[in-house]
Amino acid sequence: MDQLPVEISQRIRHEARVAGLHDHAPSIEMVERRRLQLWSIMIIVMIAVGLAALAVSGATGNGSWVTGQPLVLAGGVGLLAVGFCIYAVEKEVHLHRLSRLLVDERLLSNTMALQLQMNTALFNAGKALNSVMDLDDVLDAILANALELLGAAGGSVMLLEDQTVLRVVAVRGEGIVRDARIRIGESVVGRVAQSREALLVSREVATADAGGALDPTTEVGGAMCVPLVNRGQLLGVLTVLAAKQTEFSEDDLAVLNLFAEPVAAATAKAGLYEAERANVAKLLESDRMKSQFVASVSHELRTPITSIRGAVAASRRTDIPAQREELLDVVDRQSGRLQAMVEEMLVAARMQENANRPTMQQIDLCALIRLTALDSHVAGRPVDLELPHACSVRSEPEALRRVLTNLIENAHKYGSEPIRVAVQVADDQVVMSVIDAGPGIPPEERERIFERFYRSDPNGTKPGMGLGLSIVRGLVESCGGTVWVEDAPGGGAAFRVALRASFVLEPPVEAVHV
Amino acid sequence: MSDRPKILIVDDEPDVLLTLRMILESEGFDPILAADGETALRRVDDEQPDLVVLDIMMPVLDGWFVLAELGGRATHPSVVVCSAKSGDADRTRASDLGADEYVTKPFEPDDLVDVIRAVLARHRAAV
Repeated sequence: MDQLPVEISQRIRHEARVAGLHDHAPSIEMVERRRLQLWSIMIIVMIAVGLAALAVSGATGNGSWVTGQPLVLAGGVGLLAVGFCIYAVEKEVHLHRLSRLLVDERLLSNTMALQLQMNTALFNAGKALNSVMDLDDVLDAILANALELLGAAGGSVMLLEDQTVLRVVAVRGEGIVRDARIRIGESVVGRVAQSREALLVSREVATADAGGALDPTTEVGGAMCVPLVNRGQLLGVLTVLAAKQTEFSEDDLAVLNLFAEPVAAATAKAGLYEAERANVAKLLESDRMKSQFVASVSHELRTPITSIRGAVAASRRTDIPAQREELLDVVDRQSGRLQAMVEEMLVAARMQENANRPTMQQIDLCALIRLTALDSHVAGRPVDLELPHACSVRSEPEALRRVLTNLIENAHKYGSEPIRVAVQVADDQVVMSVIDAGPGIPPEERERIFERFYRSDPNGTKPGMGLGLSIVRGLVESCGGTVWVEDAPGGGAAFRVALRASFVLEPPVEAVHV
Repeated sequence: MSDRPKILIVDDEPDVLLTLRMILESEGFDPILAADGETALRRVDDEQPDLVVLDIMMPVLDGWFVLAELGGRATHPSVVVCSAKSGDADRTRASDLGADEYVTKPFEPDDLVDVIRAVLARHRAAV
């Protein structure tokens, strides 16, 4: 490719020399001017020869002008004219050849400039891909290069959001709406994604079948859509829009196809990087939560031990039986607390090992709630009940009792009284709710509070190890149910446990204060 | 200072309050109690204790707040921080905020009594 212009320029110089052009770099315009001059001179010569012939014939009168002196003159003029014509034709041949060579050269240099520009753009795109790991930045840089090269008005990269929907994730220039969504198979872009074949789109089709991705206030020309495929997997669609009233060509489509490859590679690479980054962030968070767990556990263990040692030391200092009795109660209470903590940790550990498979049986949820509420009341955590007389669910009674105990404890710890436990029956589901009158749970924490070791109170002003709710979720799920938290009507948090109903015995609701 | 130094015990654990009260009483102190930071500050104003045994992790107003609040006053009782937080950063922070001693839970009750006596003696010597 790069040999050709050298060969052409040598031929151009040769032809120019032969044609009588001494300029080192003759232009098409110069050649045309020369041809014009040549033809003009030739016409003048022909006219001069004609006039000379007429003059000769006039001078000879009625006699034959082909005889005598005028004949010699006419012959001389004729020969001169023929000689000049031969000269002119020969120059014309070379000038014509030169003109064609110059056109070829201009075409070639234009193509080469375009190629260079494209290589530069692709190089820049590749550079962006290698230097920036943030997907948005990579896509933006590649789009910018593609638009510049194609002289396009706007462009976008749409990526697969799930297996059926594409979303606009990068936009450059004008005409395309960020975050617009298009279903695969619908509209131009959706069809390109489906067929995985690049498409040149006319202005009419681009405007009429954009599927909501096109800004209605912007007037655009034609468009091109190229699927982004990496290792046989469709990732999205690259689209560019021509300036208004203009269209793209097949060559432009070929250029855009070249761009699709780095975009697809960038997307795949950045996707992997994002996944890795998310994974690392998750590991770091898990590590942080475990450290916090160790701190919480050590604090939680230290507190009852302080009371027990204090009680023992105090009982050695007193002979009053009532005081000793009181101190024994302290020891009893605090050692019970330690035992409960150890059990809680064991349950959490067992749940993680997935060794705790409950035995499901049909139980009366309302009876279980009443019994648990009674225990809770004795432990100084009263609850109000809003229950049907009976309500049958398939579950594991011990797991469900622990779920309810944990939720009630939690409501007392983090919410405010009154704490209510309610049961609602809907179709084949029974929903048990533990509702407090506290500040509620912010939406961004509603999932996180069920994670192991997560504490909404990182400063530890409230006792706890961050295991309670993760145990609740594990137990509820092992019983085939679901648990979530939402705002209670009128404020506070409502923890809801949905269980599969066996059959409903009796629906009327009674309100009881335990 | 009377013969029975007045000690304010601040802790959100009722059993800690109960046992410490009994121990300090038997050791010849006059203990008074507070279960949160707000009550502690009020009782310091009302009762003017000689020394405060202060827990850190408490709801509403924690021990750090109480310590900072007391440190900002011209005269205030001696403070022995008594917390389950055992990090060096916590000790330094307590010291910076003006705490006289730092005892980590769980502690030997006799040791706490010794620390209280030492702080009171130091305070008396300084006065």
